[in-house]
Amino acid sequence: MAFWQQAGRRAAYLFRRNEFERDLEEEIRFHLESRVDELERAGMSRRDATIQARREFGSGARMREESRAAWQFQWFEDLLADLRHAARTFRKNPAFTLTALGCLALGIGANTLIFSLVHAILLSPLPYPEADRVVMVRFTPPNRPDERLGTNPGSYFFIREHNDVFERMGAVRVTYSGVIPPGNDATTQWVQAGWSSPGLTDVMGVKPLMGRWFSRQDRDFNVVISYGFWQRVFGGAPDVLGKKLIWVPYGAATVTGVAPPGFQTLDPDIDVWLLQPDENLALARRSPNRVFHLFARLRPGISLERAQAEMDSLTAPLGAESEIDRGWSIKIQGLRDVYTGHLRQPLLVFQGAVLILLLIACANVASLLLAQAARRQRELAMRSALGSSRGRVIRQLLAESLLLSLMGYACGAGLAWAGLRVVRSALPTILPRFVDVTLNPVVLGYCLLLSLATALIFGALPAVQMSRTDLMEVLRDATRSTMRRSSLRGALVAAEVALAVVLLTGAGLMTNSLLRLNLVRPGFDTHGLLALQIPFPRNTYQQTGKNTAAGGMLMEFTPRLSQLSDQIRERLAQVPGVESAGLTMTPPLGGTPRRFNFSEENHPLAGAEQEAWTAEWYPVSADYFQTLKIPLLRGRALAAGDSESSHPVMVINATLAERFFRNEDPIGKRIQIGVVYDQPREIVGVVGDVRQNRYEYVPQAQMYVPRVQLPRKMDMTLGLQLMVGTFVVRTKGDAASLVSALRKAVGEVDRTLAVTHALTVDEYAAGQLEDLRHYTALLSIFGGMSILLSVAGLFGIMAHAVSQRTNEIGIRVALGANAGAIQGLVARQGMVLVGIGILFGVAASLVLTRVIGRFLWGITATDPLTFGVVLLGMAAVAMLACVVPARRALRIDPILALRWE
Amino acid sequence: MGERAGSELLPGTLYMMILRTLSAGPLHGYAIAKRIQEASRGGLAIEDGSLYPALNRMLVKGWLKAEWGTSENNRKARFYRLTPDGRRQLEKETEVFGQLVRSIQLVMRSA
Repeated sequence: MAFWQQAGRRAAYLFRRNEFERDLEEEIRFHLESRVDELERAGMSRRDATIQARREFGSGARMREESRAAWQFQWFEDLLADLRHAARTFRKNPAFTLTALGCLALGIGANTLIFSLVHAILLSPLPYPEADRVVMVRFTPPNRPDERLGTNPGSYFFIREHNDVFERMGAVRVTYSGVIPPGNDATTQWVQAGWSSPGLTDVMGVKPLMGRWFSRQDRDFNVVISYGFWQRVFGGAPDVLGKKLIWVPYGAATVTGVAPPGFQTLDPDIDVWLLQPDENLALARRSPNRVFHLFARLRPGISLERAQAEMDSLTAPLGAESEIDRGWSIKIQGLRDVYTGHLRQPLLVFQGAVLILLLIACANVASLLLAQAARRQRELAMRSALGSSRGRVIRQLLAESLLLSLMGYACGAGLAWAGLRVVRSALPTILPRFVDVTLNPVVLGYCLLLSLATALIFGALPAVQMSRTDLMEVLRDATRSTMRRSSLRGALVAAEVALAVVLLTGAGLMTNSLLRLNLVRPGFDTHGLLALQIPFPRNTYQQTGKNTAAGGMLMEFTPRLSQLSDQIRERLAQVPGVESAGLTMTPPLGGTPRRFNFSEENHPLAGAEQEAWTAEWYPVSADYFQTLKIPLLRGRALAAGDSESSHPVMVINATLAERFFRNEDPIGKRIQIGVVYDQPREIVGVVGDVRQNRYEYVPQAQMYVPRVQLPRKMDMTLGLQLMVGTFVVRTKGDAASLVSALRKAVGEVDRTLAVTHALTVDEYAAGQLEDLRHYTALLSIFGGMSILLSVAGLFGIMAHAVSQRTNEIGIRVALGANAGAIQGLVARQGMVLVGIGILFGVAASLVLTRVIGRFLWGITATDPLTFGVVLLGMAAVAMLACVVPARRALRIDPILALRWE
Repeated sequence: MGERAGSELLPGTLYMMILRTLSAGPLHGYAIAKRIQEASRGGLAIEDGSLYPALNRMLVKGWLKAEWGTSENNRKARFYRLTPDGRRQLEKETEVFGQLVRSIQLVMRSA
């Protein structure tokens, strides 16, 4: 307590130094005058009295100094003095200062940048009160432990009724709907709607930005719109509450609230939330369709582990109660993990990479400071001879490091600020939408600490070195004590090379994967191919109110569906520049196809075999093959003649034929596909393999069925997926330029139709590699920086070595050594260091590249080719850094060299 | 001051004597030095050069407060006043010092 009061009084002194000095002078004057008065009264002359008083008072300077010292934080004053001295030293040596500063700015800047991402994505709380209590409850099917699916209504109710770890639970189901905003000229907007059970908003625990959430008591059809929808459709108008949207086909819906920005219930694209009363869910209690996302808020004090244990104990009773849930397990996942879990590993890899970069920068600066210290030995020895204690000299060196790191911090923060602008514009698809990446105080504080730590790392070496050196020895002979210092610098350079090798192999492995992935051919011609996604309107199907045998809700397509899709297809094919148009379910290279079991008719499969006999399932129009240019290998493709009333047929791909009909002719076989109500189909043709996913290593078995031959009645989960049609369009020239003409053509077919996505297949293909491309780019940038820094370090030490050995080289030249021998002599010294560095670097890489194994494709984390290329590249660049100073050694004039010193 | 005949102070006793001198009421620096010298009947002399640093150190410790006032000869002077903390410190130092003196006397008599 007393200590802090004292510190407070001292701190106050810092702000009133001038007042203090005035007071002190005044006090001294008063003291002297009082004494003079007294001596005068005792009979002295005024003049004698003044002299006498001054003599008695003694050294005013010392007294002032000591009085001042009483108030000062001594270390602080010393530090200021040291920093001033350091600043002078730097000004005298701009080349050294700028090099060191550049290294530090790169290292610290990269760390600040990556940490700002780590902080925003992994550390800062989600925008919900006590967000760490919000979890998602997800379901894992038997035998597929990595999948996380939603819930069916039955499981939702069961868990709600049988747990005591959740305070509240809420479910949301996502559907697509056409919505017409107010206004006469408004066009239909296609929105994702989140049908929420009443508890959902309580689980999230946030209030709307404006207005209120829907409530159980609402009699009207009320909706809450997302912040993005409010901005996009209403232009952020403050009077949006109470506005009516036309909800196709139900009618008017009233906007009662606007969700806060960043509010997200799993799917970031939900534009509208609306109430789904629990009574409605209860009607579908036996449905197996896992179309609900289940959110829950943990009771206070309940850990994730405790909640998970509770869920584990519920799986058996749940399976006992309902057949459809048997063997499924329940998994609790924290909301942050759900939203950003996939970014965790890449971010940690980058954090590691930039720390390595910073270490290289530190090694460089330490090496520079060592060289600097060697040059300054005389100065420092002189200071100690004049009475500076050894500690004082070391403190001076540390102050220089501190100043350097603070300047590096300032420049690094500037670099990070610039880098952040680039990152924000380059990575919007990777960053979660609720995340706001900024250089906030936490980020800046972390990096300040990091900078101070680096000052200790690179400052300690020269300081320790200095403390071991016999300064008197130095004063006597300044030339001889440089050998040991060189070996320390050599070790630093070797370490830099090793660290750079680690980063470069990482970047190399990622680049190699990316190159390989770019070489993967999808099996069809992607060039000039467009995919338009068009949701079919509500009048193309109806709900039957009945259930399938498995318990799912049953829906029925109306004849309008195939009429409409034919109209759209034909209209699209007429647009000038279009060669053909076909219909499928998901965009080629842009969606996840459905998979179904299949079996030969009259050979039903059992158990494990059933699991093995699955294939991707594509309901397509007949012109799909011609549009994608998928080659026909045998038999015939689907044809316009395959109609609703004709014989059911299908086409398989080469892989399916190869895998399941190895020794037989598949053509003519009759196949039953595991789609509810589907008829047995005859295989009429075999087509080439098509990859849906560029990451697929082996091609998948695939089956194509004519879309018109799909059963009219369908399980709702699959049926709703089919309600979004993907029209693929083959164009003659530049596909992207046709998009607006194609959108217009769709509108001409039916005004209420909306094209939700129109992208070229090449864009979809690029999208699949987007994450990897960004990761590779970032890692390559860091790898490039690391090679730059380590080569700069190498170059520095080589140049220094040449200047140190000028004398020796001069003698050798004078004695007749030829150019090659001299060059070899100098270069050998550097290449030994590089060799050692590469050796350690490879050893470290073999261990460390495993952390990026998950991002690699087609190669292992120890791919010999990549390692070889990186090593040769590193060696070649390092050679250059050695040879240039060596060539300078050749130009040494022996006469001058001998006079050196 | 005066004839400068006083002997050196025992180390560490300067604070105590300043505190004691001020316990009667606020005084300025010159008066403090004079009062100590007089009280010791010229036996102790405080160097002016060490008085003011000591006063400043005591201000930092919070034992004293300083404020400007008018001296008996109508000059502007800086007066030092004991704080409650200073009063406690005086009691503590007096007691410790008393014990020390008694102990030294015991040793000196027994020898």
